[in-house]
Amino acid sequence: MAKNADILIVDDDKDLVSTMRVVLESRSYQVRTAANGKEGYARIQEKPPDLLILDVMMDTATEGFDLAYKLRNQEAYKGIPIVMVTSFPQKMAEEGPERFQHILGENWPVTQFIEKPVNPEDLLDAVDTLLTRSS
Amino acid sequence: MQLGHALIKEQLFFRKELMERVDWFIRLRWLFAAAGFAAVTVLAATNPDAPVLPMTAVFCCIFCYNGFFWLISRQLRRSDGRAVEVHIRFAHVQISLDLAALFLIIYLTGGLFSPVAVFAVFHIIIAGILLSPASCYTYGGIILAVVGSMAFLQKSGLLPVHPPLFHPASDLYEPNAFQWFPFFVLYAAALSITAALTTSIKTSLQKKGRELLHVSKELEENNCKLTALYEMVKVMGSCSGLQLLMDSATRSTAKIMGVKGCSIKLLDDSGQQLRFASTYGLSGDYLAKGGVDVCKSAVNRSVIEGACHAVGNIHESDGFQYPEEIAKEGISSMVCLPLRVEGSIFGVFCVYSDVIHFFKHEDIRFFELISDLTALAIENLRSELNKTWFLQKAAHQLRSPLDTAHSIIKTLVEEYLGPLAAPQKETLNRLEKRIGFLRKMISDLLDLGIRRSGSEKKQIVEMDCADLLTAIVPQIRIQAQQKGIELEVAVAEQLPKIHADRKMVDDIFVNLISNALKYTPAGGKVSVSLAADERGRLRFRITDTGIGIPPEHLPRLFVEFSRAANAKAFAEEGSGLGMVIVKESVDRLKGSIHVSSKEAEGTTVTVLLPAESEFQKSAHLLDTVSIDRL
Repeated sequence: MAKNADILIVDDDKDLVSTMRVVLESRSYQVRTAANGKEGYARIQEKPPDLLILDVMMDTATEGFDLAYKLRNQEAYKGIPIVMVTSFPQKMAEEGPERFQHILGENWPVTQFIEKPVNPEDLLDAVDTLLTRSS
Repeated sequence: MQLGHALIKEQLFFRKELMERVDWFIRLRWLFAAAGFAAVTVLAATNPDAPVLPMTAVFCCIFCYNGFFWLISRQLRRSDGRAVEVHIRFAHVQISLDLAALFLIIYLTGGLFSPVAVFAVFHIIIAGILLSPASCYTYGGIILAVVGSMAFLQKSGLLPVHPPLFHPASDLYEPNAFQWFPFFVLYAAALSITAALTTSIKTSLQKKGRELLHVSKELEENNCKLTALYEMVKVMGSCSGLQLLMDSATRSTAKIMGVKGCSIKLLDDSGQQLRFASTYGLSGDYLAKGGVDVCKSAVNRSVIEGACHAVGNIHESDGFQYPEEIAKEGISSMVCLPLRVEGSIFGVFCVYSDVIHFFKHEDIRFFELISDLTALAIENLRSELNKTWFLQKAAHQLRSPLDTAHSIIKTLVEEYLGPLAAPQKETLNRLEKRIGFLRKMISDLLDLGIRRSGSEKKQIVEMDCADLLTAIVPQIRIQAQQKGIELEVAVAEQLPKIHADRKMVDDIFVNLISNALKYTPAGGKVSVSLAADERGRLRFRITDTGIGIPPEHLPRLFVEFSRAANAKAFAEEGSGLGMVIVKESVDRLKGSIHVSSKEAEGTTVTVLLPAESEFQKSAHLLDTVSIDRL
């Protein structure tokens, strides 16, 4: 399952997306991309990916979290592992963005956080581990 | 504590006085009876014709009924809080019996011409002060009637005549037919003038008292309002969100003003519509009408232009965009004021009453005060939120491209895009290092900016610093190994827990350790220790064998962007902000920092943080100080 797994990257930073794509494709993962939450959700509806890589801030400050919660509340998508890429992995893991602090701890939708700047090794480690676990 | 106006009320109607005087009467009567017995004894010795026996009987009676009064008075004192009417009745009984005894003594000591007759004046004064004017005049009338009748009956021979007291026993006493009338007139005049004077003085005092009562009530009401306003401002000051602040303002204002409802409407960007931003006490139906178009509501338009608009009876007034909804909501009176800061109006603050003509001039003035303070609080919070928003946005905008560039370089360095020649890799490594430094600089600057804007959210929790330090150690151990520096970490057991913001303590540890590692050459040593000092404070100490700080630079150690010459020469990178962040964190945690250093030998930095209880104490003290200042 791990090789050729379908990974969807939802991020509005094209340069970062193409960098991550290069890193992931080096391990023969299939990479699809979307530039915002809405487009990402459409891609997921077309075909649920094996893993989702999400940015936090896109068109809105909490777009990544909005999409993550939306998926967690749907039976068909709630099993998709989500890696969230953020400049503040510790803050996000402990508090989440301001709007979500009140629901902190209740079905936290993100499976793993990784820090920006993205270290290729860290990204691959996270992806490999999660895909192996979910398979 | 007794309320001012209640105290005045009690004093005004002489109720307290009356209750106290009842006891005083009794004590005085003991003296009077004793003096009476003494006088009768003297009289018996000096005037054999004096009516000693009947007078003794009268004083015996006074003595007896006074004993009875004393018992009643004790009973009344025990059942404290009895209605004042009981005390009034008790005073009437005492005055009546005293007058009866006085009439007998007057009769026995010369009737109208008795020197004792003057004692009746005291009863008039007492009744005038403690009882109603009617009682005073009634007693006056009774005294005159009894003494007059006595004189008339004695003159007519129907009542035996006793010679006046101190009348020589040898002289035959025979009152002249013309003497008694002018004497009676003078006596009546003296009593009447006394009654009139006493009652008029008392009435005037009562009038002044009433005025005082009124003023005192107003003062107390104002005091209550101001206290409530102070509480309101305090709560508004602690609100972190605009909606919370406005909701708190409308709720508190409705309560302070004692009205049905309250609303804050804010002007939209076009300045043409007022939208309900917060309401209290208004129904959903009323709010469903939506915002108010400034051009359709003369009232709101005038308020936006700076006027205060008070409507006593809304049903008689036009100029509203939604008169039917207002009537349906049961609003009868309203006051609308502009929300204004430094001449700039950004909304309308209204209070609604379901009573017609509810608002007085003072109410409106007080509401103006509330409105101005609320406007100021809203504006302050907005500017604070704007600053935070700006800084956070700036942080994101600056970090984002850097993070991406950094990620791209990492991908390049690790040869995901193809193999690299050694010089290319070396160059990319240098580039990565500089980008990392730039990122750190941006983080430090924005951290300081947010902290100094006052909008940083502190999360004070009880924390174990040993855990925090232990979590950092693996990372710094790698750095130390890479640089060839010996690292020694000593954490004492049973450290005091502190109340602090985790990030601030983390900032202190990370910055000080990074500095020590950065400015210590290979082969050097860095020792980190965490212990409790003799006063129970948490002591974090870091000692290095690094380049040290030149003495001339020590005073500038905590100044932004300032770096010592030897530091610049030793390490190119450095924002000059690390120590500033450390100092500010230590200050906010109410701790202290001490730096000792010798150039080329090394530096020791000691940070002392108050333990839990001490921090709470000093935080409490700070609260007290700020309240006092207000």
